Amino acid sequence: MTNVKVNSVAKTYGTTPVLADITTEFTEGSFTSLLGPSGSGKTTLLRIVAGFIKPDHGMVMIGNNDVTDVPVWGRNIGMMFQSYALFPHMTIAQNVAFGLERRGIRGAQARKEVDRALEMVRLPGFGDRTPKQLSGGQQQRVALARAIVIKPSVLLLDEPLSALDRSLRQEMQVELLRIQRESGLTTIFVTHDQEEALTLSDKVAILDKGRIVQIGEPQTVYEKPLTRFAAEFLGDSNFLSGTVENGAVRLADGSLVRSTSPLPASGSRVTLAVRPEKMAIVSGDVDGNAMKARITTVIYAGPVLSYHLETADGLPLKLFAQNRDGVVLKQGDEITLGWSADHTVAVAD
Amino acid sequence: MQNDQLTLASARGPSGPRSRRVLPAWVSTTALLLPTYGWLTIAVFLPLITMFVFSFLSATPMGKAPIVFTLKQYRAFIDQPYLVGIGITSLLIGFWTTLFCAVLGFLAAVALVRSAFGKTREMLLILILLPFWTNGLVRVFSWTMVLRENGFLDSLLHMVAPDAGSIGFLYTRYAIVVGLVHGYLPYMILTCYIALVTIDDAIIEAASSLGARWWTILFKILVPLAAPGLISGAVLIFIPVIGSFMEPRILGGRVGVTMGTVIEDQFTQAFNWPLGASLSFTLLAVVLAIFATFSGVLRRGTAA
Amino acid sequence: MTSLGRFYLIVILIFLYTPILVMMAMGFNASPLYELPFSFSTQWYEALWSNKVLLTAGMNSIIIALITAVLATMLGTMASVALSRRTFRGRSLLQLMLLPPIAIPWLITGTAMLIFFYWSGIGRGMHALLIGHVALAIPYVVLVVGTGFKTIRADLEEAAMSLGSTPVHAFFSVTLPLLYPSILGAALFAFAVSLDQFVISYFLATPGYTTLPVQIYSSIRKGFTPEINAISTVLLLGSMTVILIFARFAKPGDTSDKR
Repeated sequence: MTNVKVNSVAKTYGTTPVLADITTEFTEGSFTSLLGPSGSGKTTLLRIVAGFIKPDHGMVMIGNNDVTDVPVWGRNIGMMFQSYALFPHMTIAQNVAFGLERRGIRGAQARKEVDRALEMVRLPGFGDRTPKQLSGGQQQRVALARAIVIKPSVLLLDEPLSALDRSLRQEMQVELLRIQRESGLTTIFVTHDQEEALTLSDKVAILDKGRIVQIGEPQTVYEKPLTRFAAEFLGDSNFLSGTVENGAVRLADGSLVRSTSPLPASGSRVTLAVRPEKMAIVSGDVDGNAMKARITTVIYAGPVLSYHLETADGLPLKLFAQNRDGVVLKQGDEITLGWSADHTVAVAD
Repeated sequence: MQNDQLTLASARGPSGPRSRRVLPAWVSTTALLLPTYGWLTIAVFLPLITMFVFSFLSATPMGKAPIVFTLKQYRAFIDQPYLVGIGITSLLIGFWTTLFCAVLGFLAAVALVRSAFGKTREMLLILILLPFWTNGLVRVFSWTMVLRENGFLDSLLHMVAPDAGSIGFLYTRYAIVVGLVHGYLPYMILTCYIALVTIDDAIIEAASSLGARWWTILFKILVPLAAPGLISGAVLIFIPVIGSFMEPRILGGRVGVTMGTVIEDQFTQAFNWPLGASLSFTLLAVVLAIFATFSGVLRRGTAA
Repeated sequence: MTSLGRFYLIVILIFLYTPILVMMAMGFNASPLYELPFSFSTQWYEALWSNKVLLTAGMNSIIIALITAVLATMLGTMASVALSRRTFRGRSLLQLMLLPPIAIPWLITGTAMLIFFYWSGIGRGMHALLIGHVALAIPYVVLVVGTGFKTIRADLEEAAMSLGSTPVHAFFSVTLPLLYPSILGAALFAFAVSLDQFVISYFLATPGYTTLPVQIYSSIRKGFTPEINAISTVLLLGSMTVILIFARFAKPGDTSDKR
């Protein structure tokens, strides 16, 4: 069990900066997701930690070792690829034993470790089969077994579940979590799927354009996004822009909105974010913020009813309501939205 | 305990301290490439350069004779006008061969794509390409069996009209073209096939649904989309054909005089290597000019 | 439409194979002047056995083809590894340099070789033929192996490296085993190319050392005899067999993971 630190790591290809000065730590035994759109640099960061890419400057430390100049094969990592990358000309057992053999472990002891790893991923006795004979989910488990059997310092996963269909994916997520907890491996997980990041991780790092925009526990990052990008990429958000006035925010249409997050000085502009599920349809007087709007579209999505609305000023809003009574409202209806100041977050642009 | 060895190994990292030292990539890359390109230099590039130099000599260097540089070999077309006629003949043969290959080959490729599927198509492709990869000489020889007097063609004729004369046309220009088309047709079929096979069926269906008949589809859709295949096939056929000497000699006899045979003569009969060299290089210049003109299409057409 | 297409393809096949079949058939006809009616005889094949000149030429062709296959495959595979897996300046140029042997008419290349080998003292004969044949076969090897490389995903080597393989070890334990079908296919291809090679051999052969195609050509120039049909049939069937074996190799191998 080791922690991983990256210090001022940056990478530019030609004139395109892909990673800009990243400094962060992945603590021992933690499961961290690198979440972001394509091009955000999350895969680049992972591959720098792995050693496939050498950063332009900066340092990578695994445990107490500075591995910046150590090539991939000397870093003792375990890696899972999106395409499983099982060796097609070897049996499952040979695949799993590959890393052991590189470390001088052969014969009976290797077999024991291989069996143990296969049991851990719930594929006992599969040793003699070949990758061709296995389904996608099974291949992925073998890839996992292969990576953990060598007891690496860190487990690196490059969107390993993207190729699986939904139900298989959810199944593998549970397996992955269980195995990670059992083995206590420091894990870095790259994904563009927010749900995956939220459900699996101890920490979520949101990346955008080569920078870590926000890093923290899933709940923190979701409930209190720091930037507009974080508020938009993770989940959905409504954005209200206005000017700070005596501890509240005055919007363009004159209404006053309150927020419990720290606001900049009076007179400065600020953007507030409110998540659609934090709003509700209210009537009469309301404690907290309120706004009138007209429904432009009703989307019936099963457990959730999604409303697109527009204020008199033309500001677009979204509302997610639990489907308790089915579709009651329709396009054109005028309603009042209410939400609390706690759920109003000031975000940087 | 049991995990000790593994723990130690993990701590030490795989492969031990040896893993730290890495040879710079360019060393191994050079080592991999040097033998091949060294060989090609000796076998192809140096010879071409030498031939270029030779084309400026006045006579084949033999023993103690003095080496004289001259441009006269390149004036051969002016000094010996019959060469112009031969050059034109070669170009014409090239043109007709390419034309027939283009029409027959393109239609064959269309037939392959539209009328043959799965295993049948695979088998047909192999059958069509198989002769192509065998000895060209033998194939040319086989045409003599068919075209000569009292050969196969005549035998077929005499089965229905026993008193008719001979229709064997060996030792004519037509025979040369037939032999060349036979030899290079599979090439055109292949390049057109590769180009056609990438055309989405949906395009043809869309055209049909808009009212197009088969000739419109053929000429307005298939031909333009398969153009890269047609052009690369044409280039790759025309070039060897204008330099051919085997087919003209065997199938053309006395009539079979082309640039190829003239060049070959300089090296085997006339022993006038400088002239042969200059003619070769003139031919090469034509070849390179054609390549340069069509290089963009070629790169796309033969992407394999 | 479909039946029209099929019919046309059959016509094409008839065009392609009739001369060949006629030639083969006449090798079994007793008449030395190819006269009909047909009477079956294997005398020409028997005559082949005692035709020392043709037999020697045939042996030479096979030996040269074997050596060419081995050398060209080795050199071509090495070059292919560098061209497929490494990126470096001048790679496109190097790939372009592989075209001349196959794109330039062999007449030009052959005469150029003749000139250069004479002037440099390399001379003609077996070694000259080998130099020429290998040079011609290399581009095909690079092509076949290069195509094979494309089917092997790059992340297999990365996976090996992540588990502790040095790049060299990763190549030998992962990439190379998966490349075997392509390499064997390339060797067969090189063998066939060398066996059938005529033009270059024509210029580099000597009266004392020729290959089969060159010998066949000389015989044709002297006049047609059914012995030529016999030996041509043998040569034809030989190279067809090699190519068919190659075709079986180049198709089945699905070396990528099933998804």
